[in-house]
Amino acid sequence: MLTVCPYFHVHQPYRVKRYRVFDIGNDNQYFNDNSASDLNNSRIINKVADKSYRPTNKILKELLETYPDFRFALSFSGTVLDQFEAYAPDVLESFQALVATGRVEVLADTYYHSLAFFYSLPEFERQVAMHARRIKELFSVTPRVFRNTELSYRNDLAKWCEDNGYLGIMAEGWDKYLGWRSPNFVYQPAGCSKIKVLLKNYKLSDDVAFRFGNRGWASFPLSADTFGNWINAHHGDGQTINLFMDYETFGEHQWEDTGIFDFLRALPKVILRRADTSFKTPTETILAYDSVGTYDVPDILTWADTDRDLTAWNGNDIQRDALAKIYKMEDDVLKTEEIDLIESWRKLQTSDHFYYMCTKWSQDGDVHAYFSPYHSPYDAYIAFMNALSDLQLRVQYALKAKVAMAEKEAVVTIHLSFKMRLLAWWRRLYSTSSFFSKKIGKK
Amino acid sequence: MCYHWPVRGIFFVINGIFYMRVLTFGWDFPPSRNGGLGVACFGLTRELSRDGVEVIFVLPKKQDTIGSPRFVFADTERKINLYAKVYEIASSLIPYHSSDNLVQSLVSYDAIGCPVHKTRTILEEIHRYAQQAAAIAQEEKFDVIHAHDWTSYLAGVAAKVASGKPLILHVHATSFDQAAGNNVDSEMFKIECEGFTQADQIVTVSQFTKNILIEKHGVPADKIQVVHNGCDNAPVPRYEPVLKELKAQGKKIVLYHGRITIQKGVDYFVRAARMVIDVDPNVVFVISGWGDMQNQIVEQVGKMGLSGQVIFAGALWEEERDRMYQTADLVVMPSVSEPFGLVPLEAILHGAPSLVSKQSGVVEVMTHVLKVDFWDVEEMANQILAVLRYEALGKQLREYGRQEINRLSWSEAAKKIYQLYRNLVNYIHS
Repeated sequence: MLTVCPYFHVHQPYRVKRYRVFDIGNDNQYFNDNSASDLNNSRIINKVADKSYRPTNKILKELLETYPDFRFALSFSGTVLDQFEAYAPDVLESFQALVATGRVEVLADTYYHSLAFFYSLPEFERQVAMHARRIKELFSVTPRVFRNTELSYRNDLAKWCEDNGYLGIMAEGWDKYLGWRSPNFVYQPAGCSKIKVLLKNYKLSDDVAFRFGNRGWASFPLSADTFGNWINAHHGDGQTINLFMDYETFGEHQWEDTGIFDFLRALPKVILRRADTSFKTPTETILAYDSVGTYDVPDILTWADTDRDLTAWNGNDIQRDALAKIYKMEDDVLKTEEIDLIESWRKLQTSDHFYYMCTKWSQDGDVHAYFSPYHSPYDAYIAFMNALSDLQLRVQYALKAKVAMAEKEAVVTIHLSFKMRLLAWWRRLYSTSSFFSKKIGKK
Repeated sequence: MCYHWPVRGIFFVINGIFYMRVLTFGWDFPPSRNGGLGVACFGLTRELSRDGVEVIFVLPKKQDTIGSPRFVFADTERKINLYAKVYEIASSLIPYHSSDNLVQSLVSYDAIGCPVHKTRTILEEIHRYAQQAAAIAQEEKFDVIHAHDWTSYLAGVAAKVASGKPLILHVHATSFDQAAGNNVDSEMFKIECEGFTQADQIVTVSQFTKNILIEKHGVPADKIQVVHNGCDNAPVPRYEPVLKELKAQGKKIVLYHGRITIQKGVDYFVRAARMVIDVDPNVVFVISGWGDMQNQIVEQVGKMGLSGQVIFAGALWEEERDRMYQTADLVVMPSVSEPFGLVPLEAILHGAPSLVSKQSGVVEVMTHVLKVDFWDVEEMANQILAVLRYEALGKQLREYGRQEINRLSWSEAAKKIYQLYRNLVNYIHS
């Protein structure tokens, strides 16, 4: 028996507009670009919806209707759900329809697609809880398998998931930690006794996610049949093929003209052709197979680049500076208790902001090798830091206002207690005087 | 015409090294203080000599120094004398002038010892230079002709006609850069077109300049090769900083270094300065340079009420310039049209980060500089303020920029030029 476990990650950040130093203190809207640029969030949502979300969901819906054994998982960031709700409600509804079939699992995540686990555990926990509430509210399900931003993973994260009642967690099946072993089995994270880890088969996943439309690739054009054969080749040496990728692979990273939609449409049929091959959701996979060994990841592992670490987000000085500054604000921001400030602060934690500041690739002079709505990593940093400076100002004002308010209340309290004392004195006076008068009367 | 040297030229191969001789025309060579062009000619010549190329460097020369031949690089790098011969021609070319500018040259002295000057236009000088070039081409033996910048194009062409040797024109600037887009000098444009037609190969210092040649001069793209300028990246001596008192007061220094002409966009720099000062009065802007727009800029500074925040430092050279670079918190190159732009490379060498206009060639080779459209004054001010506010930004630009220029050596540029020479020589003799 071989099962395929596909999982598609749906995410869009709130991109910071070209926020200038002159805007600090004058403009508290950081994410409302309305130009024709790629910083205009509503424009991007609708562009990607047309290219990817709408056509892909239509195909997925048809596939679920046609093949009762077809299943897969989705993970959403809270920021993409909020933006669907605001800019493309029909897309949100189509996702709800998919989940309502009961054959599409929704995974747990951080609300703001942040790296909070590595910078502030309490903030991470708050974001995971927010995410769970939002998923429950929109899809009426409770996620049982966790995946962290950019598939980032470490032993202590798995332990946290176990302690918090999750059945499983997802990670990259990276050779450095697997050694000679195959990612096509279920493993147990080091230091855990209940939870299991599902490992991405990066070879097969990236064949679709990255190489599919590459004309220079030896296997171009990749047909569903060929891909089905590659999967079937693992009969006997694996139990589950975990295909993890960005949802936007379909139609956005790989454009329609690469034939990606035909590929998706044909894949379930090809896989279900063999009686001993089928689909399973992550939860089903975890429940179906026993762990065959321990997956021990002491350092941060992600699904990015050939380094598979966090350096695409914190590899240079400006990234580390921006990350340090945003998490340093935590106590002050929360103290304000102002929803608006806290939400802006959290939107700025989204990992994409730091990714745009990455200069790793420019070492080879290949600055265009990654997608960014900014002209340069430095433009991204400047816009981010300017917005952050404004937020810092607002937080300071809010805290000052709070202190002033508290002082005013304190004055009122003192004033009140003075009145009370006065009243008591009057009462005492009155009672004594009547006592005296009685006495006098008696006389 | 080429009767007194072998038809096949003088090149030969020993131990796999291809030796050849190149007749190079230029008009500026260090330590004369004219700008990036001489620096580029010097860097290239030095590296080519190391590669086994014998360079004969022909320079136009003012009449008053003729007769007492003084090699222009005598003081700086003596090594080069071993390989390169320097010619000086009786001509009074002055760089960075338009073709109808008048120049004076000393002709002789009158009876009481007063100098007698003759006034000529640059254009006349260029033609005179070309005539001399033809004569030199007949006297010398060489394999390739290489002419730097527009003032030497006609000389290169004349040498080609006289010798029949292949000609490479090296474009360091175009008439469109000097004019910043409008009022292109028609005589200069004519010379460019003439040169580009006659040349066997054209070298531009950036893709930016290559595009101008393709779009404005109609030169076929495959005739042009881009060879980005290099940079001397040996560690530099640290000097005592200047403007110590201002620094002690916590003032930040933003530097402009270059000619004060319309091409360089100094007026945009001043306008950005106004916006910066409005937000952060603790910034001082230093303008170092000379040029025909100087009075206009001084006036603009006064009108905008910036006299207290803008310092005119005059033209700074060598140690004084380096000292200023080392003092600056940021160097700005706001050029309207800049074929390459050595300033950000010099700046980073001295530890100052740069903000450069996107209308320059240097942005093609530098990632770790801030980039802005020259006309977007608000963004320019925004980025200046950002560097001064966010320490990590300047720090990273400084460190990563320093690593980056290690890849931009003159020897890389010379290797490409060398290959070009070889291909031309091989092609002609195949």
